[in-house]
Amino acid sequence: MTVLAQTTAGQRAPFVGPPIDWYGMSPIIVLLAGALVLMVAAALTPRWPRGLYALGTVATAGASAVLFGFQWHRVDEEGPLGLVGRALNLDHFGLFVAITICIAAALAALLLDDYLRREELDGIELYALLLCSALGGVVMAMANDLIVLFLGIEILSIALYVLAAGHARRLDSQESALKYFVLGGFASAFLLYGIALVYGATGSTNLADVRAFLRAVTLLDSGLLLAGFGLLLVGLGFKIAAAPFHVWTPDVYQGAPSPVTGFMASAAKAAAFAGLLRVFTQGFVDYQKDWKPAIFVIAVATLAISSILAAVQTNVKRMLAYSSINHAGFILVGVEAVSDRGTAGSLLYLLAYAVLVLGTFAVVGLVGRTGDSDHSLARYRGLGRERPALALAFTVLLLAQAGVPLTSGFVAKFGVITAAVDARSYAIAIVAMLAAVISAYLYLRIMVSMWLADPVAGDDARERVRIPLSAGLVVVLAVGFTLVVGIAPGWAIDWARNAVPVLAAN
Amino acid sequence: MLDLVWLIPALPLAGFLVLLVFGRRLGEPLAGWLATAMVAAAFAVTAGVFFALLGEQAEERSHVVTLFSWVPSGSLSVDLALLADPLSITMALFVTGIASLIHLFAIGYMHGDPKFPKFFLYLNLFVFSMLMLVLGNNMLVTFLGWEGVGACSYFLISFFHTRASAATAGKKAFVTNRIGDWGFMLAMFLSFQYVGSLDYARLNEAAGDLSSTTATAIALLLFVGACGKSAQLPLYVWLPDAMEGPTPVSALIHAATMVTAGVYLMTRCGPLLSASDAGTVIAIVGVATALFAATIAVAQNDIKKVLAYSTVSQLGYMFLAVGSGAYVAAIFHMVTHAFFKALMFLGSGSVIHGMHEEQDMRRMGALRKFLPVTAATFIIGWLAIAGVPPFSGFWSKDEILLYAYDKSPVLWALGLVTALLTAYYMTRQVVLVFFGEARWNEGAGHSDHSQPADQGHAEHRTPHESPWVMLLPLVVLAGLAAVGGVLNLPFSHSTEFLKSWLEPVVGEAERTLAKGTKDVKWILAGIATAAGVAGVAGGWLVYQRKKARPIEPALLADGWRYDRAIAAFMGGPGRQAFEAATWADRTIVDGAVNGTGRSVRSLGQVFRRGQTGLVRVYAAAVGLGAVALLLWFVLVRGVIG
Amino acid sequence: MAGEFPLLTSLIVVPAAGSALVAVLSKRRPDTVRVVGLLTTVVTAALSVYLLVQFKAGADGFQFTSKHLWIEEWGISWNLGVDGISLFLVVLTGLLFPLALVGADPHHDTKPYLAWLLLLEAGVMGSFLALDLFLFFIFFEIVLVPMYFLIGGWGYGERIYAATKFFLYTMAGSALMLVAIVATVFLHRNATGVLTFDVNELASTQAIGVSAARWLFLGFAVAFAVKVPLFPLHTWLPDAHTQAPTAGSVILAGVMLKLGTYGFLRFGLYLFPEASRWFRPLFLTLAVIGILYGAVVATMQKDLKRLVAYSSVAHLGFIVLGTFAFTSQGLSGGVLQMINHGVSTGALFLLVGMIYERRHTRLISELTGLQKVAPVFAGVFTLVMLSSIGVPGLNGFVGEFLVLIGSFVTARWWTVVAATGVILAALYLLWAYQRVFHGEPDEANRSFRELNWREGLVLAPFLAAIVFVGVYPKPMLDRIEPSVKQLVAHVEQHTGFVSPEPGASGEARP
Repeated sequence: MTVLAQTTAGQRAPFVGPPIDWYGMSPIIVLLAGALVLMVAAALTPRWPRGLYALGTVATAGASAVLFGFQWHRVDEEGPLGLVGRALNLDHFGLFVAITICIAAALAALLLDDYLRREELDGIELYALLLCSALGGVVMAMANDLIVLFLGIEILSIALYVLAAGHARRLDSQESALKYFVLGGFASAFLLYGIALVYGATGSTNLADVRAFLRAVTLLDSGLLLAGFGLLLVGLGFKIAAAPFHVWTPDVYQGAPSPVTGFMASAAKAAAFAGLLRVFTQGFVDYQKDWKPAIFVIAVATLAISSILAAVQTNVKRMLAYSSINHAGFILVGVEAVSDRGTAGSLLYLLAYAVLVLGTFAVVGLVGRTGDSDHSLARYRGLGRERPALALAFTVLLLAQAGVPLTSGFVAKFGVITAAVDARSYAIAIVAMLAAVISAYLYLRIMVSMWLADPVAGDDARERVRIPLSAGLVVVLAVGFTLVVGIAPGWAIDWARNAVPVLAAN
Repeated sequence: MLDLVWLIPALPLAGFLVLLVFGRRLGEPLAGWLATAMVAAAFAVTAGVFFALLGEQAEERSHVVTLFSWVPSGSLSVDLALLADPLSITMALFVTGIASLIHLFAIGYMHGDPKFPKFFLYLNLFVFSMLMLVLGNNMLVTFLGWEGVGACSYFLISFFHTRASAATAGKKAFVTNRIGDWGFMLAMFLSFQYVGSLDYARLNEAAGDLSSTTATAIALLLFVGACGKSAQLPLYVWLPDAMEGPTPVSALIHAATMVTAGVYLMTRCGPLLSASDAGTVIAIVGVATALFAATIAVAQNDIKKVLAYSTVSQLGYMFLAVGSGAYVAAIFHMVTHAFFKALMFLGSGSVIHGMHEEQDMRRMGALRKFLPVTAATFIIGWLAIAGVPPFSGFWSKDEILLYAYDKSPVLWALGLVTALLTAYYMTRQVVLVFFGEARWNEGAGHSDHSQPADQGHAEHRTPHESPWVMLLPLVVLAGLAAVGGVLNLPFSHSTEFLKSWLEPVVGEAERTLAKGTKDVKWILAGIATAAGVAGVAGGWLVYQRKKARPIEPALLADGWRYDRAIAAFMGGPGRQAFEAATWADRTIVDGAVNGTGRSVRSLGQVFRRGQTGLVRVYAAAVGLGAVALLLWFVLVRGVIG
Repeated sequence: MAGEFPLLTSLIVVPAAGSALVAVLSKRRPDTVRVVGLLTTVVTAALSVYLLVQFKAGADGFQFTSKHLWIEEWGISWNLGVDGISLFLVVLTGLLFPLALVGADPHHDTKPYLAWLLLLEAGVMGSFLALDLFLFFIFFEIVLVPMYFLIGGWGYGERIYAATKFFLYTMAGSALMLVAIVATVFLHRNATGVLTFDVNELASTQAIGVSAARWLFLGFAVAFAVKVPLFPLHTWLPDAHTQAPTAGSVILAGVMLKLGTYGFLRFGLYLFPEASRWFRPLFLTLAVIGILYGAVVATMQKDLKRLVAYSSVAHLGFIVLGTFAFTSQGLSGGVLQMINHGVSTGALFLLVGMIYERRHTRLISELTGLQKVAPVFAGVFTLVMLSSIGVPGLNGFVGEFLVLIGSFVTARWWTVVAATGVILAALYLLWAYQRVFHGEPDEANRSFRELNWREGLVLAPFLAAIVFVGVYPKPMLDRIEPSVKQLVAHVEQHTGFVSPEPGASGEARP
């Protein structure tokens, strides 16, 4: 009381910043530091041997992943807590996604190394950007405040815009970057405006407070809030590439350098879904009867459109773009369940898919050969003869994406379907499974041209597919992970099960 | 001795197996002799069993030998069991007896055929199946033999399978028989459901307790089976075509044994029949077939076709007997018929053999000079079938007519007409083949079987008598056909051996004659004899004396166009229906499947137009999505909800 | 069962391991690869025979069960067991693979061919042995992959179209089944509080509400109906069969189709007795339609292999008819018929394959007079054909007869119609036989090679089985019976359906 009196008396109270839990922040700081170091190194030092940059990136991502691991144990003991004055959540959910993103970044870096060598590009800054966007993704995953979420998205996206333009000499790389940038900005506007509306309705941007408010107060006129929901869905829907906000995906995925595409499909998706899950299934959970139907429609539309459009593509990268949209639809099935089981299913799916898709784009990059321009199905003809091992690995990855048992893909699909059924939304489960059948056609087509299609004249004249160490390593890791999770999924399921989001109240 | 019943079918089976493995090595004529020996041995064993049975008391004359449990499943238990009782042993006796004679004949007839061993392999398999059929203790074992003989008849009819007509005839026989088997199976199912067993004994015992509907249903379904196997209307069509097979086959399978299986089955289920209302139907079908086939036989020119239709007709007689409750008479006629019809088929075989594969009677005549033995024996068969006393046919046919009269004079009248026609067309055949002037060197007429006939044309065509292996069976059968009547002479009960012998099996089912007084019996016998003689006289006048132009309308020659009509239907609407179904399967059922795939792709093409690659279009899409969401949230949820 | 030799597990692991081994072997040594592959299948076959010997006849319930927790979180376990219903399917699988391996030559890429084939065997074995819904689904689904590659990689003409159609069609069916499986488990958990995929538990409690159970049954039924295949979901079969390599067709017809009929028994009647009864008329009708329709369409086929494929549709119809008869005869007949069809049709496909090897055509119109040039070959074909037609004394008849007599008691009019299929079977097979084997061989067919020793040795076991089962089916029935009785009792207990005791219903004459 007296304190208050004094302040009113006029002496300025010193601004007291929120206490900072440096240990908790360490992984994020590591990412940031790694990014800066690489940037500076790239700018000042005499040229390091190329490999070093990739190595540095992998080391950074790995280190922060390990630190995130420590935090996981810490949360096990102390329970979830808020960082930086509840701007960030330190909970299993955030950590799970963060680790996923770090893994994705590391794998992407390995691919990038081979890519830059093959294309003779000196885009060393790309590594820094990679780490930056990973940082943004991590922030999104842990955000406990809509503003922080927005920050995260922007950090992630802006870095990605540049990454997409990574191939300096290829026009469609530039084009895709521009498209991504313009539309991304467009979507961010929706997001920001949505945040504003929610703030207007609830008087806070902190998710915990928002939830508490919505729980305590019955809004007489919820129009403002609901409009906010809508706009937030647009913004996040754009990032997860859900219909009808998916339109950019095929062009961008096709144009961007294969490693970057892989990173987009894995890390960016994971981060965006983390945001979606935290905001809606936590912050707005009490209004689920309002937004659940919207998610339902979006999910169904995403599943249907993607699987149908995939059937008519002839460019493998485009096919995989649609397949990633299809997977987004599946993950939305988990979101739609609005349950711990659903969240766990979505998380497991994100982890499994992140590894899968990077492995897939690793192969795509290799088969794209020098130029990374021609990704037509015809390019894969006879791969089964030329590089049986690679073809077999690719087959495993594709089958996993199709959801064939004994692969991580099946476990992931099974998880979300289980959640949906448990939540008694049978309709969406059935739709999802049927969509899976249709999209299986796309993977079959790729396998056909790899194994079954007869080679045509000039095929043998093509440049041979080379498999450098780094990319090969990625493929091996991805396939291994896919099969391990597929055959012994127990541990992964448990992790995801424990990774239910918690909003740090204070 | 009775326990050795299993040996009866086992011997021919052994013969079959040996021939299956070593047939080629044995070759001609050893394979033939082996097969013959096996069947003869079976005959011997049967005879032994027969006397063993005689030794028993009349009511003890039923002995079941269970080999092993065949199809045990829950409440259904079917043993592979053989039944030795007067009926089955009678059948077994004449089956093995006639079979051995025909085997002997075939050794001569099939001389020089490259597939000589295979022929006897099939024959032995057939005898085995036939014996299983008659010795079976339950319907399923009978059915085993039933289908077995069907399969063998398929093999043997299409024995000359390089000839299209033979192949088709074989297939036709099998499929037509299958239609009958359908009835047989359903009868078994019904019996299982209502009696709980497939044993004849159980079925016949329970017959009295079954509702007349059920009993009639079972009886009629069995009769459907019989119609298939015994070539009755409407399923007789396969038998005339079956003449494509080698003549010994026609004699053995399509005259003496297999085709009588239906009659046997009916007799076996006599008590059931008498408990049902099926009798009348069976009698009508029987007499109708008899008359129908007889009319066709009048106008046939192929020596074997005449005999084939005559067989159909005679089988009709047997069913008339069964339908009128004259089971003994049916068996009696079956046996005598087996004698004289087998005799005549073998005789015709001998003729064809002597005429170098010629089968068209218009190119024969006056053969009695060249084939004296064949002619003599054939003539005995003719008299027997014509119902001329004292030959065997007279007695059995007379018995049937008596019972038919007792059931209904109409049946009797029709039967009588048939008898007259039979005598007529058989006379026609005998005259055309053995009397009149020799026509075998004129090119008149044509053979249905040009190919072998051409070989015949090549060399000189004077007919020659057959070797002794072929004549011996003829002589033996002629003797039996002549005196076969003594089995069951209607003078007194002491002379009715067959009746008293079969008493324990069909006794209580047998019809008790209401009007069966002595005088009626003799009056009918007189009329029948008169009819027979009239037929013979008529035939003789027309074909030998040429007193009147023969009446052989094309309609009859064509079998009332019945077969033709069926073929037309099968080839026409039937085939079209099948093709329609196939078309529907491809275009509608499968079309739907492929259509789904195609529509998905075309839908994709439509959506694809949205993916222009223009940022403004994409922005529009995002914008529209946003609008839709806002509408949902603000209007639907906010304002309304 | 601790400490005991894990027989059932090894039945799955051995071929899987063999597949992996083949995959790592160098393709430059095709002979080594072939030996390893053959050895694996032979060992598996030996194991399955050992299982047959060790199997306690006359005992109901599951034997050799082995259960190990797999995914605790979801209540899923590695749960295997064999009973009278699955026993002979397992043995058939074990024996069919080596024969198919020796009986048909892939001509190219032996190594991957063998790897896929062995993986397929592991999958099929697993599907027949799994007692855990999740585990069953895994195997049920995984078999699609090797079969897809076998058809697509070593098939004929339209092979890619056929393979894709096969994969997507069957996957569509099982997609719904997955939802049904999960729903079953969760509804069961909601009712009992136990989250388990264990078939026996799910079946014994019968905790799921009537209407829900009917929907779930439908979910399963669609998957099985596609696999069987039942009319009108059958059209993937002729394409797959015709384009598949011989071994593929043999396996497809021999064991893979049985996954459907087996599924109806194990996961239809057993899990959802009430629903099965409710849908009974539908499936009886579809079965009968299949019997007649398959036969009619088979009659008109121009391609010998296609004809056999359609004949499978008819034969499988009989099995489904017996399954939904709900009588011990019907079910035993159905199970027996699964084996018989596997043997007969397997042999038929081998023979057709041999014809193709010699003449490089399967068109009936281009074949003629083969019996004259290759009598032994024709003889073998005839025996197999007669078994397929269902002539008594051969295996086909026993099964067909039991099915019909069993279904007649509870579904009379369906059976009356179905029995006519027996006529049609004779029609299409004999007609085809006449066109291919009878008549005078023309120039192209005169050089048709007679059966050689290797082919003879491959076919001998089939012929032996055909005759033995036809003459003495008792040993098989004794082992099938108890499980079938138990299943019928289970159905009757949960539905109040009573299959009338034959004979007892012989009504007295008024």
